[in-house]
Order: sequence, then C-alpha cells, then structure tokens
Amino acid sequence: MVNLNTIPPKNNREYYIAIGLEGSANKLGVGVVKHPRLASHQSGDNSHICKAEILSNIRDTYITPPGEGFLPRDTARHHRNWVTRIIKRAIKEAKLTDPKLDIDVICFTKGPGMGAPLHSVVIAARTISLLWDVPLIGVNHCVGHIEMGREITKAENPVVLYVSGGNTQVIAYSENRYRIFGETLDVAIGNCLDRFARTLKISNAPSPGYNIEQLAKQCKNKDRLIQLPYTVKGMDLSMSGILAYIDSLAKDLFKENKKNKLLFDQETGEGLVTVEDLCYSLQENLFAMLVEITERAMAHVNASQVLIVGGVGSNVRLQEMMAQMCRDRANGRVHATDERFCIDNGVMIAQAGLLQYRMGDVIKDLKDTVVTQKFRTDEVYVSWRE
Amino acid sequence: MSHTPTAIYSCPDIPSKNFEVDITQERFNTTNGKSTGPSEHVLNAGQVDQDKPSDPKHIDDDSSKGLTALSKLRCQLTGLQDDINDFLTQRMEHAKNKKLKVSDEKRLDQEINELLDGGDGQDE
Repeated sequence: MVNLNTIPPKNNREYYIAIGLEGSANKLGVGVVKHPRLASHQSGDNSHICKAEILSNIRDTYITPPGEGFLPRDTARHHRNWVTRIIKRAIKEAKLTDPKLDIDVICFTKGPGMGAPLHSVVIAARTISLLWDVPLIGVNHCVGHIEMGREITKAENPVVLYVSGGNTQVIAYSENRYRIFGETLDVAIGNCLDRFARTLKISNAPSPGYNIEQLAKQCKNKDRLIQLPYTVKGMDLSMSGILAYIDSLAKDLFKENKKNKLLFDQETGEGLVTVEDLCYSLQENLFAMLVEITERAMAHVNASQVLIVGGVGSNVRLQEMMAQMCRDRANGRVHATDERFCIDNGVMIAQAGLLQYRMGDVIKDLKDTVVTQKFRTDEVYVSWRE
Repeated sequence: MSHTPTAIYSCPDIPSKNFEVDITQERFNTTNGKSTGPSEHVLNAGQVDQDKPSDPKHIDDDSSKGLTALSKLRCQLTGLQDDINDFLTQRMEHAKNKKLKVSDEKRLDQEINELLDGGDGQDE
C-alpha cells in the first residue's frame, strides 16, 4: 500500500515544499514546488494527482555560437557562475521568506548527464543543505521528466516516450520500475537534430532543435520527402547513420556539388532541394521511427495513452504525428507539456524528489550524494506507485 | 584570527597531498584563475564570455580599505582550484603515459608470442 504521507511536513504544516536543482546538460534550472497533504494520498496510487503548485521555475541556458556544441568544462563553468543567482531568484519568486524553515527537502539531479555540470550543481545543493539544515534527495533525471509529465497532464499510466538531447527511450511502468521497452542504439534524437543544426550552422538560441522545427515548417515540398535510411531495429532505433547521410547531403548542397543527382537537376544544374526540405525530411523520418516503436510498446502493454517528455517532446510536429497514431487506436490519447516542463527544469527534479521524500527516502550521509553520468531509468525503485 | 581554506588529496597510491593558501602569490589574490576560464576552443569559435566571475570587492567600495571577507575567500579558493587542477592534470598525464607504456609492452609481448607460435609477424 502506497502512503505518500509517510513523512509529515515540516513545522506541522499541511503542505510540503521542495526545491529542485537541475544541471545535467546545458540548462541550469531551479524550481520550487508545493504539495498539499491530502487524505487521498494516505493509500492508493495517486502520485499523478499531487495537486502540485509550482511556486517558481527559473532556467538559464548555456548557449554556444552557431556550429558549436557545449563542452563539459564550459557548461560546468556556466552552472558554477549562475547557480547561486538562480537559486536566489527561485526563492524570491516562490516568496519563501526563510528557506531554512520553509523547505522540506532539497532535490538535485544525481544523473544521468554530463559529469562536470552535474558536479557543479550538486556542490550547490550540498552547500545549501548544510547552510539551511535541510535534507537532500538525489533524483534520476529521466524519472523527473516522467513524474512532471504525469502531474501536469494527469495521465495515470501512460506509455512514456522520452526524447531529449541525451536520451531516447520508450518506457512503461511495471512493478515499481519504469521499464525501458525500446531505446536508441547510438545517438539520442535531440543529439541527432543538434548535430545537424551544427552542420547547417544555424543558431543555438533558444535551442538548435527549435530552429530546425521552424525551418521544417517553411518547407515548400512537403509532398516530396527526401529518402533517408529508416533504421528501426525491433523495439530499438539507430540514428547515427541517418545523421551521417543527411550531413553529407547538406555538405554537398553547400559546396554546390552538381554531381549529386538527389540535390541538383543533372540537365539544367538547378537545385532540387533546399535546407528547409532537408530539415522537414529529417524530422518526418525520425519522428515516424519514434511513432512506430511507441505504438508497438502500447500494443505490448495494452495502453491507450502516450506521454511525451523531454526537450524534443515540445516539437509540435512530433506531437501531431503521435496524436494521429493515437487516434487510430481505441481511446488513444497523447499527452504532452509545453517548453516550461518539457525542456530540462528544476521543478521536475523537485516533483520527483518530493515524491521520494514523502515515501521516506532521504540521504543520510553526504557520501551518498555523489553524482553519476550513467543512471538508467529502470535502476530506480518507484516506491510511490503500486 | 583569520582562517584560510585548505584542501587535502588522498589516494591509495601516493602519500596525501595538502594544498594551502599563500597570499604572497598573485594567484591567491584574483578571482580570475588560469585554469578556470573558458576553453580556448569556444573563444576561437566566437563565444562572448558571459560567465566570468566578478572582480573581488573592496570594503565600502574603497580600494584603500582592502577586500571584503567573502572576496578574500573567493580569491583564495580560485588559487587553490588552480593548484588542484595543475596537480590533477599532472596525475592524468602520468597515468596516460603509464598506460601507453604498458600497452606498448603488451603489444611487443604479443608480437613475440605470435612469432613463437609460427606467425610471420605481418599485419593481416
């Protein structure tokens, strides 16, 4: 029996408050969330209806020049230099007068992610924990995305498609674990899009994937897709070959390699394909692969709902394609959130961490706060669900 | 009485290494460390450094009054961080060289064994 009220809130209050710190990649996020203590949480699987109130959700992104990715050392430096200011802003916006008295738990991303940036943020988490005498909770980044998505959309038991710069997984819940049904065998979908954006030398602000989406919308030849490799392997998929292929097409296009029959008319020498066409075809191809494995996972577990989480989940075209697939299934429904919650943020870490805390899971020794680059979704024991 | 930060590095293969502040050295009087700046690669790519630590502050903003306690601490930590980074870089270089040497010896051993086994020593 799940009892989310195992640990009483601080100072005999009727609500819990958690602060979450996220910095596993180039986004530094700090968020504050409040959960009322409800009688309905005494028993039963109600972890998706916490009636969470988001008191603040502050984010700052490390953005590099066009054509460049973000290096661990510089990303860590960005997080180090901004984390104090972002924590202060989050506390101010949440109108917390005394964090020492107001906050029940400090949640931080334990992994997976880039080692150096994770390390910058956990040092800040440890410091405020010692300063305010508030306990710490390490949160799995992927579980953070899932729990935030469940709380925002109220999807009870969906198949989860987790798509971001570092992860591509199809997940379903079973017996206290988020089980991975399918995943990428090489690069993540967001990484594939980001790297193509680097080849195109388009801006990294607000994000390279968003700019590819905007270029794809401008495609004038939507009925004429460029043929790309389609690499679904059972429940898994592979994207590195697609990236290498479309990269070579883009390079030929920029070099005006007229010998390329796909790109140039061999008689007139006229261009047949634009950058917008490449972006559109890449998106359609990758998203079709995602829809296929998601649908297969839904059939496996007899689910009717899909929840899309992760930065790429804010892509409207992906949401449309997934909705189209869901419409063809009985009672099918797709759930997605907007960029505030899809893209890495501190609130999602606070949300998942607070669920852990309410079940009595808390770090007792600072030695247990060591962050890790590798931390699979299914390693987490999900005690807050039946 | 003023306190200064210290750091200790301990590892099974070497005796403990202590890092201490020496305020007579310039690196303990700045917030701009030599190993804590942006990487050259991103600067060459046109990155504008927006993550630079602020300069140390003087008491009452008066340069004749010396640094605030927090600014002193920031400067001392910057110097310590530089020393630790230098030390760890040396350790990494040392480990890398050792690994190369070992793999070189392993390769020679393997080649000798192959010859003894009747191989012709040619790469396939």
